[in-house]
Amino acid sequence: MNSNTIWKLVLIVGLLVLFSVALIPTKDNPEPIRRGLDLKGGTHLVMRVNINDAVRLDTDQGAELLKSQAVKTNLPSVTTRRVDDATFVATLAPNVTSAEYEKIAREWLANFDMSRTAEGALQFRMKPQAISVLERDTVTQSVETIRNRIDALGVTEPLIAPEGGDRIVIQLPGVDDPARVKDIIRTTAQLQFRLVEERAPGQPLEGPDAKALAAQIPPALAGEVEILQGTREDEYGRSAGAQYYGVRKSVPVTGRDLKSARVTKGPLGQPTVGFSLTPDGSHKFGDLTRANIHRPLAIVLDNKVVSAPNINSEINDSGVIEGSFTPQQANDLALVLRSGSLPASLTTLEERTVGPSLGRDSIRQGVLASLIGFVLLVLAVILYYRWAGVNAVLALFLNLVILLGMMAYFHATLTLPGIAGIILTLGMAVDSNVLVFERIREELREGKTVRAAIENGFARAFGTIIDTHMTTIISALFLFQFGTGPIKGFAVTLLIGLGASVFTAFFVSRVIFDIVYKPTDRPKEISI
Amino acid sequence: MQIFVNTNYDFVRWRFRAVLFSLVFVLIGFGLFLKNGVNWGIDFAGGANIVLKFNEAVPIDTLRSIPVLRDAVIQQYGKADDRAVLLRLPEQKKETDYAGQIVASLNHTFNPQSASKLDLNFQGRDNLSGLFQATDPDRKGSGTEGKLYYDDIAQKIINHRSELGLFSEMQQVTSTPGVSTGASRVLSEKAFIGKFNVLNQETVGPQVGKELQQKAVWAVILSALAMGAYITLRFDLMFGVGAIVCIIHDVLVALAFLGLINGEFSLNIVAALLLIVGYSINDTVVTYDRMRENRRKIKARMTLSEQMNLAMNQTLSRTILTSGSVVLVLVALILFGGRVIHEFSMILLVGVIAGTYSTVTIVPAVAIAWDHMVGKKSPVTPTRARVEPVRAPSSPDSPVRASKSKRA
Repeated sequence: MNSNTIWKLVLIVGLLVLFSVALIPTKDNPEPIRRGLDLKGGTHLVMRVNINDAVRLDTDQGAELLKSQAVKTNLPSVTTRRVDDATFVATLAPNVTSAEYEKIAREWLANFDMSRTAEGALQFRMKPQAISVLERDTVTQSVETIRNRIDALGVTEPLIAPEGGDRIVIQLPGVDDPARVKDIIRTTAQLQFRLVEERAPGQPLEGPDAKALAAQIPPALAGEVEILQGTREDEYGRSAGAQYYGVRKSVPVTGRDLKSARVTKGPLGQPTVGFSLTPDGSHKFGDLTRANIHRPLAIVLDNKVVSAPNINSEINDSGVIEGSFTPQQANDLALVLRSGSLPASLTTLEERTVGPSLGRDSIRQGVLASLIGFVLLVLAVILYYRWAGVNAVLALFLNLVILLGMMAYFHATLTLPGIAGIILTLGMAVDSNVLVFERIREELREGKTVRAAIENGFARAFGTIIDTHMTTIISALFLFQFGTGPIKGFAVTLLIGLGASVFTAFFVSRVIFDIVYKPTDRPKEISI
Repeated sequence: MQIFVNTNYDFVRWRFRAVLFSLVFVLIGFGLFLKNGVNWGIDFAGGANIVLKFNEAVPIDTLRSIPVLRDAVIQQYGKADDRAVLLRLPEQKKETDYAGQIVASLNHTFNPQSASKLDLNFQGRDNLSGLFQATDPDRKGSGTEGKLYYDDIAQKIINHRSELGLFSEMQQVTSTPGVSTGASRVLSEKAFIGKFNVLNQETVGPQVGKELQQKAVWAVILSALAMGAYITLRFDLMFGVGAIVCIIHDVLVALAFLGLINGEFSLNIVAALLLIVGYSINDTVVTYDRMRENRRKIKARMTLSEQMNLAMNQTLSRTILTSGSVVLVLVALILFGGRVIHEFSMILLVGVIAGTYSTVTIVPAVAIAWDHMVGKKSPVTPTRARVEPVRAPSSPDSPVRASKSKRA
């Protein structure tokens, strides 16, 4: 063996070791190749962030800002009305010039374009670039919030990523209870503390009939109160039908003022959610409770009243939410409150959940089929090419090790189509060997010596092999571009395998030939 | 062992009959598509797919009588003793959590106990652990220690369930190694064995389905064009055109086969088609390559038909062997790979066979027709130019006529 061949051999063995090591399970890394959702079980979700929600919220806030700034600068108050998600109209009191309001708008409402309606009111429309910034921020913030929630659930290796425009892709491997996780992800968790209005002093607006309640709203408060649904509880704290509350529209304290939330136990041992407030929140909560002792305060979550306890005394920095929670519900509520509210609601566009037992079956069948395919392949190649066939099988084996090792190093995901991809790649890798071997046979038939036949065989097959690989690589790239989840995994497997196959068919098989049929030996015969 | 050595088949002669055969096959397949309609899978049509495994015989009649399943296609999944059923629900107008809602409603129908008790075939680890923590049968307290302790028991039960597929009696749960007596007691009081377990649930909203449809069509068309461009770049335009026609042929044949078996058009099928685009062209590339090499080596006058026949015969053993090895692998996948990749492997198999077949039939037909139409003796490779001058542009041995005279 000359030194050149020795170095090549060292390189091959080195690679073999390098990639084999990646495949040994360790304590920190018990699963060197990550299994995809279709093999492990789990949930794949595509959600749309309803950005309109956030736009609407910003528009409402703009209107509130205009009103409050007008009050601060001692201007006559304005009435505002939202026309669509991004537009509101401010009607001024009669005989008031708009100049002062326009000044406020320039200073405080930079995100809005101002115009005048035919009736002389001011119309504010959110600027398109402001909307697109808001869009991006909303998606980013949603991803962040969802990630916090999923991390709190303890899902291992989740994937949460924005995907073009207003979509978010969420992959949760190993989740066996998709319904609950989906609920947790989707809960907007907009927590609000709002006063329950009174029909007369000491008589809170609450009752089991929404229509009757609406009729009892004092006329003076008509625009300021809305009816929200909640649950009525019997004396044991069990739910007993719907209860409606007339609550004020103004929201003095929200979930943003929360510092933390956790599960606590009520006096009867029932699960409750305790929360503490930020310094700023404490200040607001203190003001609110001090001024309204003995009145009910509605705790509103996503526009539903969770509970409406009476304010017994001034509360500053912490409080408790009671409701008819199961331990699980209390736990989940504390979790979503801690991780913050979603800036917009979510709509499920796509869901794929594979149960763990189906995943188990899939991997069993996939591996069995691949093993059988591999054995058939090995037998066929050895039968047809004898010792050269053994050479090809060695190359195939190395190909397999490189392919799996690369997947481990790059943290590629193995999917069921991916398993098919591996065995298919090996089927294709044989092609390179076949091209070379057929060439060598042809050269031998033309009467060339063994060494010359080997040299020419490899040299002549090279261009062809590159071409056949390139065409398959091109289609694998399209496959990657097109596919989702399992199919992407398939494309990745295919790409790695094709790369490895060029290397093993050319380099490895060549080195094996060089070692067995040494140029210095002038071999007379070759088993091919 | 050697096969197909020094063969001398006249492939070019068979090309018209081959084209006719392919046409008939494709027409039959597409005729069936017209007759039966395309069987769009959930990926493209939208809607929901739910696979349930029952712990007794599948109550098909009960399922059919449930209102939410009025529009559903209900069929057996796998073998009868798998006791599994596939529910296929048509597209919804609105984007909702369709499958989830249906499953919840089925759970309500089949397992009325679930209002007060925990369904051990339906709930996951966290809910189970939550039940233990709330009842705390082993006095571990409500702190972290208790949570970890009960999480562990719950996980063992869930693992046992996924091994079995689903539980059919409480004894299987309580006998799971690691489940304490206290936990068993809680389970028999506050939990029950539900009638089914969800193997798989999928919802695809109308929007996503439409987008995927478009994406799939574009992916196949663009990859075929890219392939044609690559071949044109590496060889020349005649071969590029031949390659594209060959790809279209293979894809159409695979699709026609899907029509024949009335298979479901799913994402996996598109993946198979894309793979056919990339793989079935390989035989063609190898043949082209050999033709180009022969032009450099062989100085004798040869018609295009002769050149093609020679190259195809020279590479025949390689073609058969490689296709054979891929076919071997695919047959293994079809027989043992399970349902999920069954149709994928079938389509791929047809595509691979079509690819080999089209290399020796369709490609020569296109190349010769192109040569005839363009009227020149084909490709302008630098080396070719040296051979070229000895032949007049429309010599009597023009390839088309040559093959006709052979048949006569």
